[in-house]
Amino acid sequence: MTVHDMKHAASDSARLEAVGGRLSRVDGPAKITGKAHYAFEQQLEGLTHAVLVSATIAAGKVIGIDTRAAETAPGVLAVLTPDTIMVLKGASDWLGNPPAQPTYNPLAREVTFSGQHIAAVVAETFEQAVAAAALVKVSYDETPAIVDLSDGTDGIPIEAMTKEWGNAEAAFAAAPVRVCAAYNTPREFQAAMEPHGLIARWQGDELTIWEPSQWVDGMARTYAEWFGVPFENVRLVSPYIGGGFGSKALALAHSAVAAAAAKMLGRPVKLVLNRPQNFTSYGGRAATRQTVAIGADKAGRIQSIVHRGVNETAVDGMWVEPLGSVTAIMYATPNFSSKQNVVRVNTVVPGAKRAPGENPSAFGIECAIDELAYELGIDPLEMRLINYAEQDPQVKKPWSTRQLREAFAAGAEAFGWAKRSPAPHSMRDGRQLVGWGVAAGTYPVRRAYGEAMVKILADGSVEVESSSIDMGQGTYTILAQTAAETLGVPVEQVTVKLGDSLLARAGVTGGSRLAGVMTGAVYKAASQALDELVGLALSDPRSPFHGLQANTLAVKDGRIASPRGEGPELSIAELMGMLGRERIEAKGDTVPAGFTPEQRYNNYTTIAMALPHTEGDYSRHSWCAHFVEVRVDEDFGTVRVSRVVSALDSGRLYNPKLAESQWKGGIIMGIGQALLEEGIVDRRHGRIVNGNFADYMLPTNADIPDIQTISVGIPDPHSSALGGKGVGELGIVGVAPAIANAVFHATGKRVRDLPITLEKLI
Amino acid sequence: MRDFSYLRADSVEAARNAAALPGAMLLAGGTTLVDLAKCGVAEPSTVIDVSHIEGLNAIDVNSDRAIIGALAKMSHVADHAAVKSQFPAVSEALWQAASAQLRNMATIGGNLMQRTRCPYFRDPANFPACNKRAPGSGCSAIGGITRGHAVLGTSEACIATYPGDLAIALVAFDAEVDLGERRLKIEDFFLAPGATAEQEHDIRPGEIITAIEIPGSAAARRSTYLKVRDRQSYEFAAASAAIGLELEADGRTIRDIRVALGGVATKPWRARSVEDALKGKALDEASVRKASELAMEGAVDHGANHYKIALAPRVIARAILKLGETA
Amino acid sequence: MTSQTHAGQTIIDPPEDGQFRNGQATNGSTPSPTTLSLHLTINGQTHALEVEPRVTLLDALRERLHLTGTKKGCDQGQCGACTVHVDGERVLACLTLAAQVEGRSVTTIEGLAGEDGTLNAVQAAFLEQDAFQCGYCTPGQIMSAVACIREGHAGSDEEIREYMAGNLCRCGAYPHIVAAVRQAAQELRS
Repeated sequence: MTVHDMKHAASDSARLEAVGGRLSRVDGPAKITGKAHYAFEQQLEGLTHAVLVSATIAAGKVIGIDTRAAETAPGVLAVLTPDTIMVLKGASDWLGNPPAQPTYNPLAREVTFSGQHIAAVVAETFEQAVAAAALVKVSYDETPAIVDLSDGTDGIPIEAMTKEWGNAEAAFAAAPVRVCAAYNTPREFQAAMEPHGLIARWQGDELTIWEPSQWVDGMARTYAEWFGVPFENVRLVSPYIGGGFGSKALALAHSAVAAAAAKMLGRPVKLVLNRPQNFTSYGGRAATRQTVAIGADKAGRIQSIVHRGVNETAVDGMWVEPLGSVTAIMYATPNFSSKQNVVRVNTVVPGAKRAPGENPSAFGIECAIDELAYELGIDPLEMRLINYAEQDPQVKKPWSTRQLREAFAAGAEAFGWAKRSPAPHSMRDGRQLVGWGVAAGTYPVRRAYGEAMVKILADGSVEVESSSIDMGQGTYTILAQTAAETLGVPVEQVTVKLGDSLLARAGVTGGSRLAGVMTGAVYKAASQALDELVGLALSDPRSPFHGLQANTLAVKDGRIASPRGEGPELSIAELMGMLGRERIEAKGDTVPAGFTPEQRYNNYTTIAMALPHTEGDYSRHSWCAHFVEVRVDEDFGTVRVSRVVSALDSGRLYNPKLAESQWKGGIIMGIGQALLEEGIVDRRHGRIVNGNFADYMLPTNADIPDIQTISVGIPDPHSSALGGKGVGELGIVGVAPAIANAVFHATGKRVRDLPITLEKLI
Repeated sequence: MRDFSYLRADSVEAARNAAALPGAMLLAGGTTLVDLAKCGVAEPSTVIDVSHIEGLNAIDVNSDRAIIGALAKMSHVADHAAVKSQFPAVSEALWQAASAQLRNMATIGGNLMQRTRCPYFRDPANFPACNKRAPGSGCSAIGGITRGHAVLGTSEACIATYPGDLAIALVAFDAEVDLGERRLKIEDFFLAPGATAEQEHDIRPGEIITAIEIPGSAAARRSTYLKVRDRQSYEFAAASAAIGLELEADGRTIRDIRVALGGVATKPWRARSVEDALKGKALDEASVRKASELAMEGAVDHGANHYKIALAPRVIARAILKLGETA
Repeated sequence: MTSQTHAGQTIIDPPEDGQFRNGQATNGSTPSPTTLSLHLTINGQTHALEVEPRVTLLDALRERLHLTGTKKGCDQGQCGACTVHVDGERVLACLTLAAQVEGRSVTTIEGLAGEDGTLNAVQAAFLEQDAFQCGYCTPGQIMSAVACIREGHAGSDEEIREYMAGNLCRCGAYPHIVAAVRQAAQELRS
């Protein structure tokens, strides 16, 4: 066995380029010059354009579709309806469960939500397709719709969500201090700036899809099953993704329409959802309602937590937003009960939005603990420390690492928490009421097996290949850093290729797992490639190192030499030339030995093989503490966030510059959630009326103060090969309760329904 | 968007002639027309591009008056030094509207023709009933989501809020709109819906706005525009106020005051009752707040917009108090 | 009657039958949309294209001229992703008809760097400050930032925030965008 010396010279550039260095994005130059071509920006000969016709009712039957005017409109090639579109096969779900129905029609005769796709027009130009789609007349037999959580029954119990220990109800009843309140979060949307859409092209029975994707292999599997072609016949290409936030992991109805239209027409079809359709064609975060009851002793020690949650799901699809996930682990309690129901309403199936489960869960428990703190007259930060969980209260295992105490300390220090005036409504600046709030957040470490290809080429350059993707988290960059460090080459010699299902396979990019999975896989592949290079250098008679009394060689800055400095020193390119090699390539993976091809396939195309975060001896999570200052206008009730300090534990950071950006992005999305974002449904129509960027408001630059993030993480060897924990979702968890708590501190008004808009404070 | 023919006019006369064509609509900045064409609300058969007409974008300001050409861009007027000094409320209303990009496109004349942001008005595919779009079809907003809708100047036919900012300042300072053959007070140019919600402006076929004129005054020189909204920027007003103030030599007695409201009414709303209550009175917080409540006389809410009745007087009061604090 | 089919020409008289299509009177039957022959100056180069009058500058750039650096985020004037410069001023390409900009000079993100590839100071600052993540709003942010500085609206962080508010960023790069604009403005002043 050879041993590699991977230590770099302590030069600035080496520090920058190594894992953990603040290297700027390697995909940055393409993105700032307009040269980065996103998936559906490919230019194809004979491209046609499809536009969807969407249901204008929330429930009922389609009884007629008049397509005559559209069919004769200029440029129209086809008008597809439920009766004329090709029927697809049912596809398995993301767990790999076989389809419930043998066939699938992506255009609906039975309408279960407003915005459901009814028909599609394909034309030579985008403008012609848009104009013709407006000419399609659909008639309906409308039936009453269930529009929100409060309309239904108590819903359907989800037994798998039940978590209980001790006797929570009795302990709550007996507790000397009790708080109990209901917390609501509305329907929220991922609202990535790049809309959903795709280009589909058939060549014989081979399908190429250019589509923004958080999971090219999983989506390729769905297409293959829909059309009954082998998985290998589907190529899904997604070089850059203009934001996903959970929404771009699955092939959806509009995807099927485009691929079917391309098959039927024998021409490539481009279909991009317009912005309003991006609010109705796939699920945002489900609306949720939680009741949190906490009983404590007079010293503030929690005796019991009783939690009940409900989220909306669709009439014909199931989504569970796990509302008890943070509730069960954040604080030590001897008695606990959490149960959850779902209520079916006429909506598109809700989906994953940044930190599904943990985000609304934290809103409940982190507001409730704040209420308890005021009830007892204990500082909210002290309250959290009194009830600090030294181990996972639910599974009773030690934390792998939990730097939450350190996060509270570092955040409080940087924020100046000690100068806080304790009473509500006691700090002001002119006519602005000032409030300081704190809340904690957490996200589990989701782990999976991964693979990667690393190639050392004749010119000394290195290629890293993976079908994983970069939607802004920095995959291109950290994988280049990992390969550069492992191989000992400058990072500019490394090219990373991502987002193509032809490349080494990868599972879903979601749940903040990708960086941990892929750095591990690239490290392994690069180590294997280096092993082979060094092995050849020592054993091949053509090598100048041949016969050297060494059992290893070191590579540094792309040059290879004996670690003791004897013998020659040459570049990798020179060595490759002498060895007569075009390339050395190694596919490395972290898959357990003995996995069958079927298991490997399922590992990459389903989420069923992911490792539980409590597997083995530890409970693995990332952690954070947010400190927020708000200013509330005493006349207008408008809330503006004026300061944020967050201390976060994501373990080891592979690139702090990019990790900080992701954390801040999560915090900013949390500010939007707290103050602005709400899908508003007209009850008469069961339809979102603010499905656009003027009325569903995202924060603008003017809404966001400077944000200070502090990394308090330490390498966590139980969470990933290189010691990192999740980054992407963590930042948003706990932001909304920190803001709500700050608003209470500023005004004395407790707002438990997000978003905190001005009329709730006026 | 349905297809249309495109014509460029290079003179006002040519534009007037072309505008008389059936189905013709004028295109200046495009921020309203192109947007509404995409929504399926505007369906011009001919678009007359007037944006290349020369000589209509002048900004001419002195202490007596401002004359602003119809094709002057919102951004240019907002940043104009003399507008800032002589009519601060006009500049502030402009830079707080829309975004920098939209203000570079939108013209002053076009801005006066801006349509409501009522979500039901803007979505004919899902909400066919709208008296503004299809007279007699009904109002989808009444009984629906009304958080942004008007509480003043509404009718059974329409409760859509006038969305603009500039016109609020113009109404406060008695500006006039030049239509060539006719000149109208801005206040009269805008029409409340009544039974004819489709008629938003007193403008006749073939008429084109060529300029606006704003009389100068001490109140205009000491003026401000306060805009309150959920988001800090790039949003229409929840409630806004354009205020002008002139004090007597004693520095506390109100000689002249102008009060106009945005975001709460179906048209730019002059609140003369507030002005009348304050003229000749000392400027103090209690009396300002009391008088500001008068602006809501006759206000009618539709549920979710009830907060505007509480909010608007506070916006007025705060704007007056802010002006009072400035020397 | 005097009229021309070409954009840039003047209409003197309406036709007597009241029907008027791209400058040509018709018999009043089904309108026959006519394409316009446009010559657009984009990044210093003249491009000839035949488009319907309803084609926006954004779709002309992306679908006809294959200049996809200008992004379509909302297509309704609500996000800023399509920001380009027309005669040096930032505007939204999604609400601009292609026909409107004939005779004007259009600059897109592809035309911002020097011919030798030298990055504009704003581009370089965006990279250094990590002022983007997914990169989809980025061309619009950068075009907006260049204009923001040129307009003199980058005098303070508060002013930068307000004058960059028309460019939404869902990844939440705002604080870094402010830092990048501040940095580029300082470099350009010195």
